Amino acid sequence: MNIPKTKARLTDGLVRQNIVLMSGLLIGPVIAGATDFESAAAISVVFSLVTFFSVAVCRLLPRRMVYTVRIIAYALIASALYIPAILACQFLLGEEVIVRAGIYLPILVINHVILSKTETRFFHLSYFQMLLDALGYIAGFVIVCLLTGIIRDILVNSAIGSLSIETGLSLPALETTFGGFILVGVLAGICRAIYNKLTMNNEQLAINKEPVGDDGNRPAEET
Amino acid sequence: MELFASLFNAALLAIFLQNSIFERALGPNILIYASRKREHVIGFSLVIIYSTTLSSIIAWVLDRNFSSWEYFGIVTPLLYILVISFIYILSLILVWRFLPKVFGKIKTYVHLSVFNCSVLGALFLSSQFGESLIGYIGFGVGTGLGFFLAGYLLYIAHPRLNSELVPAAFRGLPITLVYIGIISLSLYAFVGYATR
Repeated sequence: MNIPKTKARLTDGLVRQNIVLMSGLLIGPVIAGATDFESAAAISVVFSLVTFFSVAVCRLLPRRMVYTVRIIAYALIASALYIPAILACQFLLGEEVIVRAGIYLPILVINHVILSKTETRFFHLSYFQMLLDALGYIAGFVIVCLLTGIIRDILVNSAIGSLSIETGLSLPALETTFGGFILVGVLAGICRAIYNKLTMNNEQLAINKEPVGDDGNRPAEET
Repeated sequence: MELFASLFNAALLAIFLQNSIFERALGPNILIYASRKREHVIGFSLVIIYSTTLSSIIAWVLDRNFSSWEYFGIVTPLLYILVISFIYILSLILVWRFLPKVFGKIKTYVHLSVFNCSVLGALFLSSQFGESLIGYIGFGVGTGLGFFLAGYLLYIAHPRLNSELVPAAFRGLPITLVYIGIISLSLYAFVGYATR
């Protein structure tokens, strides 16, 4: 197994093409649904199960099937897989959390990792590479969703789930949709700033590591 | 007159109080994509109005007949996706057969405007807020009009949100989300907001 390639597959969806903070492909459930840690956990569980197994099944559909029909098949497969996923979530987190997450759980069946990425990216990879790639995207979403839920839970309820954290600060507006938009927007900006800084540093590092010629000059950049 | 009042009320509820973007955050990614071009804002909104309205009628029939079933909540996404798919395929065939020019224009984005959270979410919201068939239809129309309102507000701000005046890290998606958040905050004036 090519380890650097495998690592690149996992980190691509995790950071560089994160579907919440970098490409914004799936932001609605994080903004309006992940209002506390438990709701964020419910969204993460359902999204992970539905997306991973849907992508694994959808990749097996014949490519000669026209896209108009294929997109319907993707949505139907995801909504059929939603049934075991919601039952698993109910078992893990309880009925009350599912009720609190509301419509943000069922709408996860129409997400662009399944509907678009399968088409534009996953079909061009081997089955194993595709599964790794999908895992990277799922992990990227789960981390941001949980992070948003935790930040809101701390700043609104002074707690993370059932664990009480006394902050002496209460910002109930963060629980609302507008609070979610502003919080996710700020997180996206911070994430991009850090990513840009790191990639610039890495590029600088790569330039510094380039071999120096006999004349003491570095080789000219390829154009 | 009473029917018209119910329709109007449901539409107003969907446009302002339960706006699919500003209040519910259903499909902001599609909105951001559509807001780059005026034709896309109009095209996406019309397709969403059409699909939510027609789907809402069938959803009303399903809700009315099966909502008492114990497992209805779990299979609802599957049923609603079947409804949306049926409307999508039937409409595409009709447009392709009778309006080939329109088909040529919309074929690049029609799948995005039908299979998105705004349309599916509107059906779930209709079942919560639309009490009668008129309520469902009004909510369907209002969802599309609400999407158009959000899309237009984003379209006119698009050049500024992507200009060099915005710091590079915040340009594009981050500042757009903050902008939508501020408009959403101003819409809260309609419903009021109370801290706990």
